[in-house]
Amino acid sequence: MNATTTNSALVEINDLHKNYGPNVQVLKGLNIDMMPGERVVVIGPSGGGKSTLLRVVMGLEQIQGGSLRFGGKPYITTKGSKTVIDSEVRKKIGMVFQHYTLFPHLSIMENLILAPRKVNGESRASARERGQKILERFGLAAKADAYPSQLSGGQKQRVAIARALMLDPKLMLFDEVTSALDPELVAEVEQVILNLAAQGMPMMMVTHDMWFARNVASRVIFCAGGVVVEDGPPEQVLGDPVEERTREFINRVFHIKA
Amino acid sequence: MDYQLDLGAVTRNMGPLIEGLWVTLQLTLAANVIGVIAGFGLALLTTSKLAILRWPSMLFVEFFRCTPAIVQIVWFFYCVPMIFNVFWGPVFMGIIALGLNLTAFNAEAYRASIQAVPREHLDAGIALGLSPAQRILNIVLPQALRNSVPVLLTNGIGIFQQSALVAIVGVADLMYQGKTLATATYRPIETFTIVALIYLAISYPVGQFVNWLERRQSYA
Repeated sequence: MNATTTNSALVEINDLHKNYGPNVQVLKGLNIDMMPGERVVVIGPSGGGKSTLLRVVMGLEQIQGGSLRFGGKPYITTKGSKTVIDSEVRKKIGMVFQHYTLFPHLSIMENLILAPRKVNGESRASARERGQKILERFGLAAKADAYPSQLSGGQKQRVAIARALMLDPKLMLFDEVTSALDPELVAEVEQVILNLAAQGMPMMMVTHDMWFARNVASRVIFCAGGVVVEDGPPEQVLGDPVEERTREFINRVFHIKA
Repeated sequence: MDYQLDLGAVTRNMGPLIEGLWVTLQLTLAANVIGVIAGFGLALLTTSKLAILRWPSMLFVEFFRCTPAIVQIVWFFYCVPMIFNVFWGPVFMGIIALGLNLTAFNAEAYRASIQAVPREHLDAGIALGLSPAQRILNIVLPQALRNSVPVLLTNGIGIFQQSALVAIVGVADLMYQGKTLATATYRPIETFTIVALIYLAISYPVGQFVNWLERRQSYA
Protein backbone atom coordinates (compact mmCIF):
# COMPACT_ATOMS: atom_id res chain seq x y z
CA MET A 1 0.00 0.00 0.00
CA ASN A 2 1.35 3.38 -0.99
CA ALA A 3 1.95 5.43 2.14
CA THR A 4 0.71 8.64 0.54
CA THR A 5 -2.68 7.11 -0.26
CA THR A 6 -5.00 8.42 2.43
CA ASN A 7 -8.06 6.60 1.19
CA SER A 8 -8.05 3.30 -0.66
CA ALA A 9 -11.68 3.50 -1.74
CA LEU A 10 -12.53 2.62 -5.34
CA VAL A 11 -15.30 5.21 -5.51
CA GLU A 12 -15.53 8.18 -3.17
CA ILE A 13 -18.71 10.23 -3.39
CA ASN A 14 -18.55 13.44 -1.37
CA ASP A 15 -21.54 15.64 -0.60
CA LEU A 16 -23.17 14.93 -3.99
CA HIS A 17 -25.97 17.30 -4.99
CA LYS A 18 -28.07 16.75 -8.09
CA ASN A 19 -31.12 18.73 -9.23
CA TYR A 20 -33.38 18.33 -12.22
CA GLY A 21 -34.30 21.92 -12.96
CA PRO A 22 -34.52 24.54 -10.22
CA ASN A 23 -37.19 22.85 -8.11
CA VAL A 24 -36.44 19.16 -8.13
CA GLN A 25 -33.63 18.15 -5.82
CA VAL A 26 -32.89 14.47 -6.30
CA LEU A 27 -29.64 14.04 -4.40
CA LYS A 28 -29.11 16.23 -1.36
CA GLY A 29 -25.61 15.72 -0.10
CA LEU A 30 -24.89 12.05 -0.64
CA ASN A 31 -21.75 10.42 0.81
CA ILE A 32 -20.61 6.92 -0.10
CA ASP A 33 -17.16 5.33 -0.03
CA MET A 34 -17.07 2.11 -1.98
CA MET A 35 -14.11 -0.20 -1.36
CA PRO A 36 -12.52 -2.34 -4.09
CA GLY A 37 -14.25 -5.69 -4.44
CA GLU A 38 -17.47 -4.49 -2.90
CA ARG A 39 -20.83 -5.25 -4.48
CA VAL A 40 -23.15 -2.44 -3.51
CA VAL A 41 -26.89 -2.76 -4.00
CA VAL A 42 -28.82 0.50 -3.74
CA ILE A 43 -32.45 0.13 -2.70
CA GLY A 44 -35.11 2.65 -1.82
CA PRO A 45 -38.45 4.17 -2.78
CA SER A 46 -38.93 5.38 -6.34
CA GLY A 47 -37.88 8.98 -6.78
CA GLY A 48 -35.32 8.49 -4.05
CA GLY A 49 -32.43 9.05 -6.43
CA LYS A 50 -31.13 5.49 -6.90
CA SER A 51 -30.93 5.52 -10.70
CA THR A 52 -29.73 9.11 -10.68
CA LEU A 53 -26.89 8.08 -8.39
CA LEU A 54 -25.79 5.39 -10.85
CA ARG A 55 -26.08 7.77 -13.78
CA VAL A 56 -23.93 10.32 -11.96
CA VAL A 57 -21.29 7.66 -11.24
CA MET A 58 -21.34 6.76 -14.96
CA GLY A 59 -20.71 10.41 -15.81
CA LEU A 60 -24.03 10.83 -17.61
CA GLU A 61 -25.35 13.69 -15.48
CA GLN A 62 -24.44 17.25 -14.62
CA ILE A 63 -24.17 17.75 -10.87
CA GLN A 64 -24.84 20.83 -8.80
CA GLY A 65 -22.35 20.20 -6.01
CA GLY A 66 -19.91 17.76 -4.46
CA SER A 67 -17.29 15.60 -6.10
CA LEU A 68 -16.44 12.04 -7.04
CA ARG A 69 -13.09 10.30 -7.00
CA PHE A 70 -12.36 7.00 -8.69
CA GLY A 71 -9.37 4.80 -7.87
CA GLY A 72 -7.97 7.64 -5.77
CA LYS A 73 -8.07 10.12 -8.69
CA PRO A 74 -10.37 13.10 -9.19
CA TYR A 75 -13.21 12.04 -11.49
CA ILE A 76 -16.13 14.47 -11.33
CA THR A 77 -15.99 17.98 -9.88
CA THR A 78 -17.89 21.22 -10.29
CA LYS A 79 -16.44 24.47 -11.53
CA GLY A 80 -18.93 27.25 -11.02
CA SER A 81 -22.16 25.89 -12.53
CA LYS A 82 -20.27 23.49 -14.80
CA THR A 83 -19.64 19.81 -14.23
CA VAL A 84 -16.16 18.65 -15.12
CA ILE A 85 -15.90 14.94 -15.92
CA ASP A 86 -12.56 13.22 -16.59
CA SER A 87 -13.47 11.10 -19.60
CA GLU A 88 -10.35 8.93 -19.23
CA VAL A 89 -11.46 7.93 -15.74
CA ARG A 90 -14.98 7.39 -17.05
CA LYS A 91 -13.69 4.74 -19.47
CA LYS A 92 -12.87 2.50 -16.51
CA ILE A 93 -16.58 2.20 -15.67
CA GLY A 94 -19.13 0.06 -17.51
CA MET A 95 -22.90 0.30 -17.31
CA VAL A 96 -25.91 -1.78 -18.28
CA PHE A 97 -29.30 -0.09 -18.57
CA GLN A 98 -32.87 -1.19 -18.03
CA HIS A 99 -33.79 -1.17 -21.73
CA TYR A 100 -30.90 -3.18 -23.26
CA THR A 101 -29.70 -0.29 -25.46
CA LEU A 102 -28.15 -2.61 -28.03
CA PHE A 103 -27.67 -0.73 -31.29
CA PRO A 104 -30.34 -2.18 -33.61
CA HIS A 105 -28.45 -1.51 -36.85
CA LEU A 106 -25.44 -3.55 -35.73
CA SER A 107 -25.13 -7.31 -35.34
CA ILE A 108 -24.35 -8.75 -31.91
CA MET A 109 -20.65 -9.04 -32.76
CA GLU A 110 -20.58 -5.51 -34.18
CA ASN A 111 -22.22 -4.26 -30.98
CA LEU A 112 -19.43 -5.91 -28.98
CA ILE A 113 -16.48 -4.67 -31.03
CA LEU A 114 -17.63 -1.11 -31.81
CA ALA A 115 -16.18 0.54 -28.70
CA PRO A 116 -12.97 -1.56 -28.43
CA ARG A 117 -12.17 -0.64 -32.02
CA LYS A 118 -13.20 3.03 -31.95
CA VAL A 119 -12.14 3.88 -28.41
CA ASN A 120 -9.09 1.67 -27.90
CA GLY A 121 -8.03 1.26 -31.51
CA GLU A 122 -8.07 -2.51 -31.21
CA SER A 123 -7.86 -4.45 -34.47
CA ARG A 124 -11.05 -6.00 -35.83
CA ALA A 125 -9.56 -9.51 -35.69
CA SER A 126 -8.43 -9.20 -32.09
CA ALA A 127 -11.71 -7.65 -30.93
CA ARG A 128 -13.73 -10.34 -32.73
CA GLU A 129 -11.69 -13.06 -31.09
CA ARG A 130 -12.32 -11.62 -27.62
CA GLY A 131 -15.96 -11.06 -28.49
CA GLN A 132 -16.38 -14.66 -29.57
CA LYS A 133 -14.86 -15.86 -26.27
CA ILE A 134 -17.20 -13.73 -24.19
CA LEU A 135 -20.22 -14.86 -26.21
CA GLU A 136 -19.18 -18.48 -25.70
CA ARG A 137 -18.87 -17.88 -21.97
CA PHE A 138 -22.39 -16.42 -21.98
CA GLY A 139 -23.81 -19.23 -24.11
CA LEU A 140 -24.49 -16.87 -27.01
CA ALA A 141 -21.81 -17.96 -29.48
CA ALA A 142 -24.42 -18.91 -32.09
CA LYS A 143 -25.88 -15.38 -31.98
CA ALA A 144 -22.74 -13.49 -33.07
CA ASP A 145 -24.16 -12.60 -36.47
CA ALA A 146 -27.77 -12.17 -35.37
CA TYR A 147 -29.33 -8.73 -34.91
CA PRO A 148 -30.71 -7.47 -31.58
CA SER A 149 -34.31 -7.73 -32.83
CA GLN A 150 -33.84 -11.50 -33.22
CA LEU A 151 -32.95 -12.00 -29.54
CA SER A 152 -35.09 -12.42 -26.43
CA GLY A 153 -34.96 -9.73 -23.74
CA GLY A 154 -32.78 -11.93 -21.55
CA GLN A 155 -30.36 -12.60 -24.38
CA LYS A 156 -30.23 -8.90 -25.25
CA GLN A 157 -29.42 -7.99 -21.67
CA ARG A 158 -26.65 -10.61 -21.52
CA VAL A 159 -25.19 -9.18 -24.72
CA ALA A 160 -25.34 -5.70 -23.15
CA ILE A 161 -23.33 -7.03 -20.20
CA ALA A 162 -20.86 -8.72 -22.57
CA ARG A 163 -20.52 -5.46 -24.52
CA ALA A 164 -19.60 -3.56 -21.36
CA LEU A 165 -17.10 -6.26 -20.32
CA MET A 166 -15.30 -5.97 -23.67
CA LEU A 167 -13.76 -2.74 -22.34
CA ASP A 168 -12.39 -4.45 -19.23
CA PRO A 169 -14.14 -2.13 -16.72
CA LYS A 170 -12.91 -1.73 -13.15
CA LEU A 171 -16.46 -1.13 -11.94
CA MET A 172 -19.80 -2.30 -13.33
CA LEU A 173 -23.07 -0.43 -12.87
CA PHE A 174 -26.40 -2.22 -13.30
CA ASP A 175 -29.48 0.00 -13.40
CA GLU A 176 -32.59 -2.16 -12.92
CA VAL A 177 -31.33 -4.53 -15.58
CA THR A 178 -34.06 -7.12 -15.02
CA SER A 179 -37.02 -4.75 -14.57
CA ALA A 180 -38.06 -4.83 -18.24
CA LEU A 181 -37.74 -8.60 -18.57
CA ASP A 182 -40.44 -11.24 -18.58
CA PRO A 183 -40.25 -13.14 -15.26
CA GLU A 184 -38.93 -16.34 -16.82
CA LEU A 185 -35.98 -14.47 -18.36
CA VAL A 186 -34.80 -12.79 -15.16
CA ALA A 187 -32.78 -15.75 -13.84
CA GLU A 188 -30.45 -16.03 -16.84
CA VAL A 189 -29.41 -12.39 -16.49
CA GLU A 190 -29.06 -12.56 -12.71
CA GLN A 191 -26.92 -15.69 -13.09
CA VAL A 192 -24.47 -13.82 -15.33
CA ILE A 193 -24.18 -11.04 -12.75
CA LEU A 194 -23.75 -13.57 -9.91
CA ASN A 195 -20.93 -15.22 -11.91
CA LEU A 196 -19.27 -11.82 -12.35
CA ALA A 197 -19.63 -11.20 -8.64
CA ALA A 198 -17.98 -14.56 -7.89
CA GLN A 199 -15.04 -13.47 -10.02
CA GLY A 200 -14.61 -10.40 -7.82
CA MET A 201 -15.94 -7.72 -10.19
CA PRO A 202 -16.75 -4.59 -8.19
CA MET A 203 -20.32 -3.53 -8.92
CA MET A 204 -22.97 -1.07 -7.91
CA MET A 205 -26.57 -1.76 -8.82
CA VAL A 206 -30.15 -0.73 -8.44
CA THR A 207 -32.66 -3.55 -8.29
CA HIS A 208 -36.17 -4.19 -7.05
CA ASP A 209 -35.49 -7.90 -6.74
CA MET A 210 -34.78 -8.35 -3.05
CA TRP A 211 -33.93 -12.02 -3.40
CA PHE A 212 -31.27 -11.07 -5.93
CA ALA A 213 -30.07 -8.18 -3.77
CA ARG A 214 -29.55 -10.52 -0.83
CA ASN A 215 -27.63 -13.01 -2.97
CA VAL A 216 -25.35 -10.64 -4.84
CA ALA A 217 -24.69 -7.80 -2.40
CA SER A 218 -21.77 -7.46 -0.02
CA ARG A 219 -23.29 -4.18 1.10
CA VAL A 220 -26.72 -2.63 0.85
CA ILE A 221 -27.45 1.09 0.85
CA PHE A 222 -30.96 2.35 1.53
CA CYS A 223 -31.43 5.67 -0.22
CA ALA A 224 -34.46 7.89 0.38
CA GLY A 225 -35.14 11.58 0.00
CA GLY A 226 -31.81 12.08 -1.72
CA VAL A 227 -29.60 10.93 1.15
CA VAL A 228 -28.21 7.65 2.49
CA VAL A 229 -30.54 6.53 5.26
CA GLU A 230 -28.94 3.22 6.08
CA ASP A 231 -25.78 1.51 4.92
CA GLY A 232 -24.58 -1.94 5.98
CA PRO A 233 -24.30 -5.64 5.21
CA PRO A 234 -27.34 -7.21 3.48
CA GLU A 235 -28.32 -9.23 6.56
CA GLN A 236 -28.71 -5.98 8.47
CA VAL A 237 -30.33 -3.66 5.94
CA LEU A 238 -32.60 -6.26 4.35
CA GLY A 239 -33.10 -8.46 7.40
CA ASP A 240 -33.00 -6.36 10.53
CA PRO A 241 -32.68 -2.67 9.67
CA VAL A 242 -31.68 -0.17 12.32
CA GLU A 243 -33.44 2.86 10.85
CA GLU A 244 -37.20 3.23 11.09
CA ARG A 245 -37.56 4.41 7.46
CA THR A 246 -35.65 1.38 6.21
CA ARG A 247 -37.79 -0.92 8.33
CA GLU A 248 -40.97 0.59 6.90
CA PHE A 249 -39.69 0.20 3.34
CA ILE A 250 -38.54 -3.38 3.87
CA ASN A 251 -41.86 -4.32 5.46
CA ARG A 252 -43.73 -2.85 2.53
CA VAL A 253 -41.57 -4.68 -0.02
CA PHE A 254 -41.96 -8.00 1.81
CA HIS A 255 -45.62 -7.47 2.64
CA ILE A 256 -46.55 -10.80 1.10
CA LYS A 257 -45.31 -13.47 3.44
CA ALA A 258 -45.21 -17.09 2.26
CA MET B 1 -74.09 14.29 -72.75
CA ASP B 2 -73.46 13.58 -76.39
CA TYR B 3 -69.68 13.95 -76.11
CA GLN B 4 -67.80 11.43 -78.23
CA LEU B 5 -64.59 10.26 -76.58
CA ASP B 6 -61.68 10.25 -79.00
CA LEU B 7 -58.58 8.93 -77.28
CA GLY B 8 -56.92 8.73 -80.68
CA ALA B 9 -56.54 12.52 -80.73
CA VAL B 10 -54.16 12.09 -77.78
CA THR B 11 -52.54 8.77 -78.59
CA ARG B 12 -51.61 10.01 -82.07
CA ASN B 13 -49.81 12.92 -80.37
CA MET B 14 -47.92 11.13 -77.59
CA GLY B 15 -44.59 12.64 -78.70
CA PRO B 16 -44.95 15.97 -76.83
CA LEU B 17 -46.33 14.19 -73.77
CA ILE B 18 -43.32 11.85 -73.67
CA GLU B 19 -41.03 14.88 -74.03
CA GLY B 20 -42.92 16.59 -71.20
CA LEU B 21 -42.67 13.48 -69.04
CA TRP B 22 -38.93 13.44 -69.64
CA VAL B 23 -38.67 17.05 -68.40
CA THR B 24 -40.83 16.18 -65.38
CA LEU B 25 -38.56 13.24 -64.54
CA GLN B 26 -35.48 15.45 -64.87
CA LEU B 27 -37.05 18.03 -62.54
CA THR B 28 -37.95 15.29 -60.07
CA LEU B 29 -34.59 13.52 -60.04
CA ALA B 30 -32.50 16.69 -59.85
CA ALA B 31 -34.72 18.21 -57.13
CA ASN B 32 -34.36 14.96 -55.17
CA VAL B 33 -30.58 15.02 -55.45
CA ILE B 34 -30.65 18.55 -54.00
CA GLY B 35 -33.28 17.68 -51.39
CA VAL B 36 -31.65 14.50 -50.11
CA ILE B 37 -28.20 16.08 -49.72
CA ALA B 38 -29.03 19.66 -48.72
CA GLY B 39 -31.91 18.47 -46.55
CA PHE B 40 -29.47 16.46 -44.48
CA GLY B 41 -27.16 19.44 -44.00
CA LEU B 42 -30.13 21.60 -43.09
CA ALA B 43 -31.34 19.01 -40.56
CA LEU B 44 -27.95 19.12 -38.83
CA LEU B 45 -28.27 22.91 -38.66
CA THR B 46 -31.81 22.80 -37.25
CA THR B 47 -30.67 20.37 -34.53
CA SER B 48 -27.55 22.39 -33.75
CA LYS B 49 -26.92 23.64 -30.23
CA LEU B 50 -25.85 27.02 -31.62
CA ALA B 51 -28.78 29.41 -31.94
CA ILE B 52 -27.04 31.33 -34.74
CA LEU B 53 -27.13 28.19 -36.90
CA ARG B 54 -30.46 26.91 -35.66
CA TRP B 55 -32.63 29.99 -36.11
CA PRO B 56 -31.96 30.85 -39.78
CA SER B 57 -32.27 27.21 -40.77
CA MET B 58 -35.56 26.81 -38.90
CA LEU B 59 -36.81 29.99 -40.55
CA PHE B 60 -35.95 28.51 -43.96
CA VAL B 61 -37.86 25.32 -43.13
CA GLU B 62 -40.90 27.17 -41.80
CA PHE B 63 -41.03 29.46 -44.84
CA PHE B 64 -41.38 26.48 -47.18
CA ARG B 65 -43.73 24.60 -44.87
CA CYS B 66 -46.01 27.56 -44.33
CA THR B 67 -46.40 28.95 -47.84
CA PRO B 68 -48.14 27.29 -50.81
CA ALA B 69 -45.77 25.63 -53.26
CA ILE B 70 -47.38 27.52 -56.11
CA VAL B 71 -46.56 30.85 -54.42
CA GLN B 72 -42.97 29.73 -53.86
CA ILE B 73 -42.57 28.84 -57.53
CA VAL B 74 -44.17 31.98 -58.89
CA TRP B 75 -42.16 34.11 -56.49
CA PHE B 76 -38.96 32.32 -57.44
CA PHE B 77 -39.51 32.63 -61.20
CA TYR B 78 -40.43 36.30 -61.13
CA CYS B 79 -38.42 37.73 -58.23
CA VAL B 80 -35.11 35.90 -58.28
CA PRO B 81 -34.09 37.12 -61.76
CA MET B 82 -35.04 40.68 -60.83
CA ILE B 83 -33.41 40.73 -57.40
CA PHE B 84 -30.23 38.86 -58.25
CA ASN B 85 -30.02 39.79 -61.92
CA VAL B 86 -29.54 36.17 -62.98
CA PHE B 87 -31.27 34.51 -65.91
CA TRP B 88 -31.25 30.75 -65.90
CA GLY B 89 -33.09 28.38 -68.20
CA PRO B 90 -36.65 27.54 -67.09
CA VAL B 91 -35.86 23.88 -66.33
CA PHE B 92 -32.89 24.86 -64.17
CA MET B 93 -35.03 27.45 -62.37
CA GLY B 94 -37.67 24.78 -61.79
CA ILE B 95 -35.08 22.36 -60.40
CA ILE B 96 -33.80 24.95 -57.93
CA ALA B 97 -37.28 26.04 -56.82
CA LEU B 98 -38.51 22.46 -56.33
CA GLY B 99 -35.16 21.45 -54.82
CA LEU B 100 -35.34 24.17 -52.16
CA ASN B 101 -38.89 23.16 -51.27
CA LEU B 102 -37.88 19.51 -50.97
CA THR B 103 -34.80 20.47 -48.95
CA ALA B 104 -37.04 22.02 -46.29
CA PHE B 105 -39.38 19.03 -46.09
CA ASN B 106 -36.56 16.47 -46.13
CA ALA B 107 -34.77 18.40 -43.38
CA GLU B 108 -37.86 17.83 -41.23
CA ALA B 109 -37.82 14.12 -42.09
CA TYR B 110 -34.16 13.81 -41.12
CA ARG B 111 -34.65 15.89 -37.98
CA ALA B 112 -37.54 13.71 -36.83
CA SER B 113 -35.52 10.52 -37.34
CA ILE B 114 -32.46 11.97 -35.61
CA GLN B 115 -34.61 12.86 -32.61
CA ALA B 116 -36.30 9.45 -32.68
CA VAL B 117 -33.04 7.72 -31.76
CA PRO B 118 -33.58 6.78 -28.10
CA ARG B 119 -31.65 8.88 -25.58
CA GLU B 120 -30.58 5.70 -23.85
CA HIS B 121 -28.58 4.72 -26.94
CA LEU B 122 -26.56 7.89 -26.53
CA ASP B 123 -26.11 7.17 -22.83
CA ALA B 124 -24.89 3.71 -23.76
CA GLY B 125 -22.47 5.34 -26.21
CA ILE B 126 -21.08 7.53 -23.43
CA ALA B 127 -20.82 4.51 -21.13
CA LEU B 128 -18.84 2.75 -23.86
CA GLY B 129 -16.40 5.65 -24.00
CA LEU B 130 -17.34 6.85 -27.51
CA SER B 131 -16.57 10.50 -28.24
CA PRO B 132 -19.43 12.85 -29.25
CA ALA B 133 -18.41 12.59 -32.93
CA GLN B 134 -18.20 8.80 -32.72
CA ARG B 135 -21.65 8.65 -31.11
CA ILE B 136 -23.16 10.72 -33.93
CA LEU B 137 -21.38 8.74 -36.65
CA ASN B 138 -21.83 5.22 -35.29
CA ILE B 139 -25.07 5.38 -33.31
CA VAL B 140 -27.28 8.30 -34.38
CA LEU B 141 -26.75 8.63 -38.12
CA PRO B 142 -27.03 4.97 -39.17
CA GLN B 143 -30.32 4.63 -37.29
CA ALA B 144 -31.64 8.03 -38.38
CA LEU B 145 -30.84 7.55 -42.06
CA ARG B 146 -32.48 4.15 -42.16
CA ASN B 147 -35.62 5.45 -40.45
CA SER B 148 -35.88 8.46 -42.75
CA VAL B 149 -35.87 6.49 -46.03
CA PRO B 150 -39.67 5.97 -46.27
CA VAL B 151 -40.39 9.65 -45.63
CA LEU B 152 -37.70 10.75 -48.09
CA LEU B 153 -39.28 8.55 -50.76
CA THR B 154 -42.75 9.90 -49.96
CA ASN B 155 -41.46 13.49 -50.17
CA GLY B 156 -39.55 12.65 -53.34
CA ILE B 157 -42.60 11.30 -55.14
CA GLY B 158 -44.56 14.24 -53.74
CA ILE B 159 -42.21 16.58 -55.58
CA PHE B 160 -42.83 14.54 -58.75
CA GLN B 161 -46.49 15.52 -58.43
CA GLN B 162 -45.81 19.09 -57.25
CA SER B 163 -43.52 19.62 -60.23
CA ALA B 164 -46.65 20.05 -62.37
CA LEU B 165 -46.87 23.55 -60.85
CA VAL B 166 -43.95 24.75 -62.95
CA ALA B 167 -46.20 24.46 -66.02
CA ILE B 168 -47.80 27.77 -65.05
CA VAL B 169 -44.46 29.56 -65.34
CA GLY B 170 -43.71 28.07 -68.73
CA VAL B 171 -41.53 25.06 -68.05
CA ALA B 172 -42.33 22.48 -70.75
CA ASP B 173 -43.07 19.59 -68.40
CA LEU B 174 -45.75 16.91 -68.71
CA MET B 175 -48.53 19.19 -67.46
CA TYR B 176 -47.47 22.04 -69.78
CA GLN B 177 -47.42 19.72 -72.81
CA GLY B 178 -50.79 18.36 -71.77
CA LYS B 179 -52.28 21.87 -71.63
CA THR B 180 -50.83 22.69 -75.03
CA LEU B 181 -52.12 19.45 -76.53
CA ALA B 182 -55.59 19.89 -75.01
CA THR B 183 -55.85 23.34 -76.56
CA ALA B 184 -54.55 22.20 -79.94
CA THR B 185 -56.82 19.15 -80.21
CA TYR B 186 -59.87 20.56 -78.40
CA ARG B 187 -59.75 17.30 -76.39
CA PRO B 188 -59.28 18.37 -72.72
CA ILE B 189 -61.06 15.35 -71.23
CA GLU B 190 -58.94 12.81 -73.08
CA THR B 191 -55.71 14.73 -72.68
CA PHE B 192 -55.93 15.59 -68.98
CA THR B 193 -57.20 12.10 -68.14
CA ILE B 194 -54.20 10.54 -69.82
CA VAL B 195 -51.85 13.07 -68.19
CA ALA B 196 -53.34 12.19 -64.78
CA LEU B 197 -52.95 8.47 -65.50
CA ILE B 198 -49.28 8.97 -66.37
CA TYR B 199 -48.66 10.72 -63.02
CA LEU B 200 -50.61 7.94 -61.27
CA ALA B 201 -48.73 5.16 -63.06
CA ILE B 202 -45.43 6.45 -61.74
CA SER B 203 -46.49 7.57 -58.25
CA TYR B 204 -48.52 4.51 -57.31
CA PRO B 205 -45.72 1.89 -57.46
CA VAL B 206 -43.43 4.17 -55.44
CA GLY B 207 -46.16 4.60 -52.82
CA GLN B 208 -46.64 0.82 -52.65
CA PHE B 209 -42.88 0.37 -52.32
CA VAL B 210 -42.87 2.80 -49.37
CA ASN B 211 -45.69 0.84 -47.70
CA TRP B 212 -43.76 -2.39 -48.13
CA LEU B 213 -40.62 -0.76 -46.75
CA GLU B 214 -42.43 0.57 -43.69
CA ARG B 215 -43.99 -2.81 -42.99
CA ARG B 216 -40.59 -4.46 -43.23
CA GLN B 217 -39.01 -1.88 -40.91
CA SER B 218 -41.70 -2.30 -38.30
CA TYR B 219 -40.85 -6.01 -38.05
CA ALA B 220 -37.17 -5.28 -37.46
